[in-house]
Amino acid sequence: MLNYTSPIKEVKKYSGLTVSEISPLMKLNLRGKSRDFLTTIGQNINIILPLEANTSASSENYTAIWLSPDEWMLVSNRTVNKENNDYEIEKLLFNKISKTNLGSVTDVTDQLVMINLSGEKIFDLLSTGSPFNFNDFRFKKGSSTQTLLAQIDVIIHHNQINSVNLFVRRSFSEHLMSWINDSASRL
Amino acid sequence: MSQNLRVKSSNFIDETSRISFKFNGKTYYGFKGDTLASALLANDIHLVGRSFKYHRPRGIMTSGSEEPNAIVQVGNDKAITEPNVRATEVEIYNGLEAKSQNCWPSVNFDIGGINNFLSPLLPAGFYYKTFMWPASFWEKYEIAIRHSAGLGRSPTKPDTDIYEHRYIHCDVLVIGAGISGIMAAKTATKNNLNTLLLDEKNELGGMTIYQNSEKFKIDNKISSEWLNDEIEELNKLDNLEIKTRTSVAAYHGYNYLLARENLTDHLSKDEKENKVRQRLLKIRAKKVIVATGSLERPLVFNNNDRPGIMLSSAVKKYADYYGVICGKNNIFFTNNDTAYESAISLLKKGINVHCIIDIRENSNSSIVKEAQDLGLKIYWSHTIVDTHGYKRLKQISIMELSKDGQSFANSNKIVLDCDCLGMSGGWTPAVHLFTQSGGKLKFREKDQVFIPNKYQSEQVSIGSCNGDFELDEIIKNSSDILKDFLKIEKTGFDNINVETSKETSKKNIWLLPSDKIVGKTKPFVDYQNDATAKDIKLALREGFRSIEHVKRYTTTGMGTDQGKLGNMHALGIIADTTGVKMGEVGTTTFRPPYTPLTFGTIVGRNVGEYFDIFRRTPMNDWHINNNAEFENVGQWKRAWYYPRGNETMYEAVQRESKATRESAGILDASTLGKIDIQGSDASEFLNRVYTNAWSKLGIGKCRYGLMLNEDGMVYDDGVTTRLGENHYIMTTTTGGAANVMGKLEDYLQTEWPELDVYLTSVTDHFATATIGGPNSKKILNKLIPDLDLSDENFPHMSFKEEKIGKINCRIMRISFTGELSYEINIQASYGKSLWEQCMDAGKEFNITPYGTETMHLLRAEKGFIIVGQDTDGTMTPIDLQMDWVVSKKKYDFIGKRSLYRSDTMREDRKQMVGLLTNDPNTVLEEGAQIISELNQTPVKMLGHVTSSYFSPNLGKSIALAVVKGGKNMMGKKLFIPMEDKTINVTVVDPIFLDKENKKLNA
Repeated sequence: MLNYTSPIKEVKKYSGLTVSEISPLMKLNLRGKSRDFLTTIGQNINIILPLEANTSASSENYTAIWLSPDEWMLVSNRTVNKENNDYEIEKLLFNKISKTNLGSVTDVTDQLVMINLSGEKIFDLLSTGSPFNFNDFRFKKGSSTQTLLAQIDVIIHHNQINSVNLFVRRSFSEHLMSWINDSASRL
Repeated sequence: MSQNLRVKSSNFIDETSRISFKFNGKTYYGFKGDTLASALLANDIHLVGRSFKYHRPRGIMTSGSEEPNAIVQVGNDKAITEPNVRATEVEIYNGLEAKSQNCWPSVNFDIGGINNFLSPLLPAGFYYKTFMWPASFWEKYEIAIRHSAGLGRSPTKPDTDIYEHRYIHCDVLVIGAGISGIMAAKTATKNNLNTLLLDEKNELGGMTIYQNSEKFKIDNKISSEWLNDEIEELNKLDNLEIKTRTSVAAYHGYNYLLARENLTDHLSKDEKENKVRQRLLKIRAKKVIVATGSLERPLVFNNNDRPGIMLSSAVKKYADYYGVICGKNNIFFTNNDTAYESAISLLKKGINVHCIIDIRENSNSSIVKEAQDLGLKIYWSHTIVDTHGYKRLKQISIMELSKDGQSFANSNKIVLDCDCLGMSGGWTPAVHLFTQSGGKLKFREKDQVFIPNKYQSEQVSIGSCNGDFELDEIIKNSSDILKDFLKIEKTGFDNINVETSKETSKKNIWLLPSDKIVGKTKPFVDYQNDATAKDIKLALREGFRSIEHVKRYTTTGMGTDQGKLGNMHALGIIADTTGVKMGEVGTTTFRPPYTPLTFGTIVGRNVGEYFDIFRRTPMNDWHINNNAEFENVGQWKRAWYYPRGNETMYEAVQRESKATRESAGILDASTLGKIDIQGSDASEFLNRVYTNAWSKLGIGKCRYGLMLNEDGMVYDDGVTTRLGENHYIMTTTTGGAANVMGKLEDYLQTEWPELDVYLTSVTDHFATATIGGPNSKKILNKLIPDLDLSDENFPHMSFKEEKIGKINCRIMRISFTGELSYEINIQASYGKSLWEQCMDAGKEFNITPYGTETMHLLRAEKGFIIVGQDTDGTMTPIDLQMDWVVSKKKYDFIGKRSLYRSDTMREDRKQMVGLLTNDPNTVLEEGAQIISELNQTPVKMLGHVTSSYFSPNLGKSIALAVVKGGKNMMGKKLFIPMEDKTINVTVVDPIFLDKENKKLNA
């Protein structure tokens, strides 16, 4: 019996900002170029992968974030079981996509840690460490970007008003959290 | 405090809030809103510093960032004291402590003042000329020169203040909140553009905000009142962010600008506690409007640097804005109308103005008439030929100019008493930021100014920085430029009524004549660097022609003020002396920062733990709890070794490696790069990126691969496992992971778009625990009892997909140590738990955690390379004696062609060998040079040691090395010369242990 451990230990609250990790969320990296690839995904998980750069699409269970013209990240909207790591949707898509050479399906559940930022000061925090222009992003629900925050690669997804999800490689997450806590303490 | 030096009419000073501060150890008082300069002047202090070279007494000269003289040391805390701060920019607060720089023992009595009398011996280039010979004396000269170099004192302890960075993106950035900047900000904002307005002062409004003359009216209101109303409206607008105390330091290409926002320097110690001191704003603007105004020019005449000699606009600002009188008996010296405004302003406050000395023959502008009506005496066509008073101006001597302005009409000299001289040599547009951005200037003969000509980005200059100096022109031209620039129909300032006094005559003489010969005078051009007109002329006589060369020879335009005041005069004097037109002389390069930046601002929060990023493995907490020492590998913190008790690193590594070879060891290998490869062309892709063949690798099997650069040199290595027909997982070196991923993706997108292959990095998704040693099989059996670990079912270089409990994992039987070894890869969140279970299961076998150092030792015993340690970008696989991994049959792979170049095929390239020391207890130093003959000069160096350890398993010292022609040197004796001895070594095969690979299948 193996125990689940998260690199981020606690929820932090600041004036106008709450920082918390949400886990475990299943994450799949999907890659493919063909029309068949897109329709197979659509038929199997009831989501149309977004084709416009820096956008996302959501269904009841999943959110698909555009990463590049042939790459998306699929994230479960709800946390999954910590007791095992058999994800049915992964198996299904792997069989329908990878095995048929339509593209690739790769489990990246623990590759990325998801940190949720909520509150009205999210973009004040981000502006202290990210060169990205959030002027349009902040008013557009579902927008996403891949940028740097405190010199660390992050995927930022605007999931709802006053709420943003940051995806960061697990190994960087402790450092990034430390930086966020430092910067947020002066907001 | 001498109250009689304050006039009560300032809206900008809060006289109800008295502030105490110290200057040169003595306590003074000022009011909230004062700068250090205005507060000192109110206390009748002009002498604030000594000049750099001659140590001449110097006073406050300006009221802004162009100040050359009044630069002070602020604070005496060793961590946060700051040198070279302009007293004109320091806002006073309770507890402020400042002192004069460049003087000893005090500003009043300065030993260095002797230099002033030695000045005939200290011309421009003195140091270059004097300390050339004898060359061997340089080291002695250097001590003395270093002592006199520099201004102020650096902090000696780490800065305790907090600095931050902030990124801002805006539609329009307006730099400068004078009258034209305010107009621009309002216009842009009202046209729905997201606008940022910056100003270096604490108040908006520039010079107009304290202009109370009836002569200057806008919309039938006095200009300051009109501007005040505009600012009030501005404050109500939504789309506008205003930042005061913010100075733009740099204007880079594509409208990327850096600005320093000063947040707490004006606050007392208690008020600034835990607050960010300064913030570096990194601004990307779609459009930039430069409204930086202009700087008043001094006049260049003999002894024009005494305390009490100031710019006329500064005298006016101190009176009108700060309510401070700079002198009781004032004289103005001018070549334009500005000084008249200042004089009238003082007269109306009841302050004595003795006269105005004007080099022009006459002027009939309305403001001159007003001065005459007030009874002010004007000496037309006169110039100052000398000034008197050592630590404070006492008298001036004036003479009448000849018609051509180069000599005198007669020999009459008039001596006038005064304690403050306001001078005005006209105005210089502040084009610094414009030129930093790549803009090109043009010279306007009429008033001898450089103004913006060609823009390099979406930007525009308006107001006096664009050469508009008259109020009506500023408003009309700014409005017209804004309409064009923002593509709008009207600005709201189009048909506004403006009344102003127009300047009617102009005259400019860059170097005013003196009744003495130039060699006997001190007409300062650059005050801070003590560069005089005489020095510039000397440089020209000595053959310097380019302004850049004259600058470096005379130091004109260097220092903290970067010649904001004197550069134009230097150019003018060069033009006049050499007979070249000023526009052709050009200017020196304006470089960032416009005003000095603190290192703290530049660095921001990237200090201490945020200096560099660190990465942690999922097992990190376990390593910390078990006393691991860490090593930086790339950005990773890797467990290095696990000392027990007082063990040294050497002792710990000896114990860890012995335990692994004898029973079992465990290594955290989570940091290795991992790339998931899928697609119908995955095998072909691997054929192209690695030197060996992949098509025939069975599913479930692993293979070692070597990746080259196009130049044939080893780039990366690792084991790749075939998970399915078209599915592989590649491992890379820890440090190379990101680069390899980038390089492979690059090849797929640009070189081989025809391949159906997809890559996904999964480095962080997996935690990896490697169990090695003769008992590793037994330990794995305890973890997964159902798994058949026989060599038939699970041979070396193969993989199994298994479950530990309910968690899926991948187990590879591969080895980097030469021992029987299993690498367990599991989803990262279960990594720590997996590690703990391995430790539990291995307890009975004394499983020993080992770090990177033991890993290095164990692989060196087997002669396995580490890319980056044993290779350095100049080693081919053949050099490494790894010919076996290079396919001869494959059509192509990255770097193949380069392996057949004559140079890469040379027999005498550096090749990898093993070295054994004659004395088995002597351990070589990594990096040590290898030679074959002693007493040879120059000695021929054959190569160097790349890895070296004492092997506890072999009981002797072993080393890997690269040696020229090493392949053919087996058994040859070589030497390693060290500082104190020469070590004798023998070249051997690089595999020291278990050549037959018996241990892998033990």
